[in-house]
Amino acid sequence: MSNLNLKNISIFIIQVFLASLGASLIIILLGASPYEVISSIFHGAFGRPEKIVKTMLIFLPISLAALALIITFSGGLWNIGIEGQIVLGAIGASWVAKSFLGESALSPYIQLFVGVSMGSAWGLLCGLLKVKFNVHEIFGGLGLYFVGSGAIIYLILGPWSKEGIASTSGTDIFPQESWFPTLTSLNIPALPILIICLIIISIILFLSFSKLGLKLKATGINPGSTNKFQFSSSGYIYLAFMIGGAIAGLAGVFQASVFYHKLVPSISGGYGFLAILVVLASGKRVIPTLLLTLFFSAMISGGSQLQLRLNLHSSLISIILSSIVFFWLVVNSTPIKKNITNLLERGRNASF
Amino acid sequence: MLPFEPSVVTVISLSAPIILVVIGETITEKSGVINLSIEGTLLITALTAFAVSVTTGSPFLGFLCAGLVGSIAALVIILCDTKLGMDQIAVGFILTIFLGKLSSFLGKEYVRIPGPYFQQLSIPILKDIPYIGPSFFDQNILVIFSFLMIPLTWYFIEKTRLGLIVKAVGENPVSAENRGINPEKVRIIATMIGGIIIGFGGAAFSLHAKFGWSENHTGNYGWICLAIVIFGGWNPIRAAIGAYSFGVFQIIALKMQSVALGLTQVLPLIPFPLMILTLIFIQRFNRSDRTTSLPKILNAFFGGQSPENIGKPLEKN
Repeated sequence: MSNLNLKNISIFIIQVFLASLGASLIIILLGASPYEVISSIFHGAFGRPEKIVKTMLIFLPISLAALALIITFSGGLWNIGIEGQIVLGAIGASWVAKSFLGESALSPYIQLFVGVSMGSAWGLLCGLLKVKFNVHEIFGGLGLYFVGSGAIIYLILGPWSKEGIASTSGTDIFPQESWFPTLTSLNIPALPILIICLIIISIILFLSFSKLGLKLKATGINPGSTNKFQFSSSGYIYLAFMIGGAIAGLAGVFQASVFYHKLVPSISGGYGFLAILVVLASGKRVIPTLLLTLFFSAMISGGSQLQLRLNLHSSLISIILSSIVFFWLVVNSTPIKKNITNLLERGRNASF
Repeated sequence: MLPFEPSVVTVISLSAPIILVVIGETITEKSGVINLSIEGTLLITALTAFAVSVTTGSPFLGFLCAGLVGSIAALVIILCDTKLGMDQIAVGFILTIFLGKLSSFLGKEYVRIPGPYFQQLSIPILKDIPYIGPSFFDQNILVIFSFLMIPLTWYFIEKTRLGLIVKAVGENPVSAENRGINPEKVRIIATMIGGIIIGFGGAAFSLHAKFGWSENHTGNYGWICLAIVIFGGWNPIRAAIGAYSFGVFQIIALKMQSVALGLTQVLPLIPFPLMILTLIFIQRFNRSDRTTSLPKILNAFFGGQSPENIGKPLEKN
């Protein structure tokens, strides 16, 4: 048994090495030094306490989106519409913050309720389109995402426009009462962190112990489950989309009321798409997903330093992240993994 | 309201890139492969075309290089699928992000600089035909190429042996294999040809419809094109109608800019809800296609059929 574990660990290390090598090659090809880039990023992400808080603020929505995707991916569903569910959550939060409730102390909690419900409804709509009308979730999801983006632009330029002049820079800042309470002078978002911890525990319990969750996970373990036309019962599709949409909606609430304190056109920040990359690489497992999300958030948070320190365009971050995920999937593909295993076997036989 | 003729000329001209992309993706999907990377491929090929044509002074060379880059992106997807057993959608999605950001990274020096144009190609006699002439034959070679591709692709898919082979592989690769066709080879070739045409589409953006380069230059058009392919029911002619209708939306949005603020940003998103409605429509018609009392012609228009084996990996014995 320990031998088997040792073998698995060796394979894992070789895979990590190969994937990093691939991503480093891309960085070198683009004319930068992998070492300088990575050290600059980590300095930018963890160098000072304020930077750690900033990294945390980026970690919040991406980890939520990734957790949402674990649920939907487990059902073999390609929830590309996750960005739309984040958008709807943000619209819901802004709706509360812009209303008469915005100046009450209950505002953040009502925002949570409305944002989560709207995200969930948007997810459910995608599921309904799939089950009732056979519209594939990729296209239904994209369609709903763009409807959501259209709605945000309409709201920002129309009913919720800044006082005086409508501008695509966003709405007016929400009233203070609508901000989520924070701790210490560093503004640590305690409540969102607490909520995320609760969600993580619930998802782990749900996937490991509940009957429904085990059924969900069984589908997820099946290697064919990410094949896009995989069969799932309709109730199951609704449930996965509703839970996923609710968690994504929560990410939207945090984006609007914890990060920006207003509604901006690109409120989802592309975090839903990044979360898809995370979950593709982490194989839908909760703990690896969270670790990888932390790595992704650090890269994004520290990436703002690239321009200043190394004069490199900040798009390099997404290039690095997507190439890491690509090479990771390549070294995890059946033929390559087989080759690595064979190589290891041969190496061990040769040494004896 | 604009007079009829100039509007049609503008729609035909502005739609050239979308027409090409939609045709490229239709050919790809006919063989059973989804190239989801269009959003990223368009950006990188638009940049390639513009950068090469600025550097060499030849837009034609830029156009060809864009096709080459498009085919490489497509090749990555199909090789990961057939050789490594990776998910087409996953690879396409990763490429979308990778290529899109790569275009921002590499394109810095080309932002908003002038470059060489394709000359207007006024075809003598033909351009003087009333209505049709100026719309189709008083345009540059890119535009003429784009609308000539519509009937050519339709003819290729429906009437030639090769086209039938591509369709057979998309519908049922196993029975195609039993008839001595190599489905893997067919999918690789069809996806690459599709990729070349998608690349040409990217070139048609930066060398013509939205001349030049800026960050996120073709933003969202890739997703819109994916939607139009479905709207077109995997038929090049219907897809072209979808693309031209989208062009009409764009023109209306442009004209109404002064009337309603915000509409310009919202109108380009209309194809998406429209796509959802169309998909619902297609499904309804397909379910009841034998009992429907609707005229045949309507049925033929809406009754698009997705290739049976689209997105599925080939089963290996």
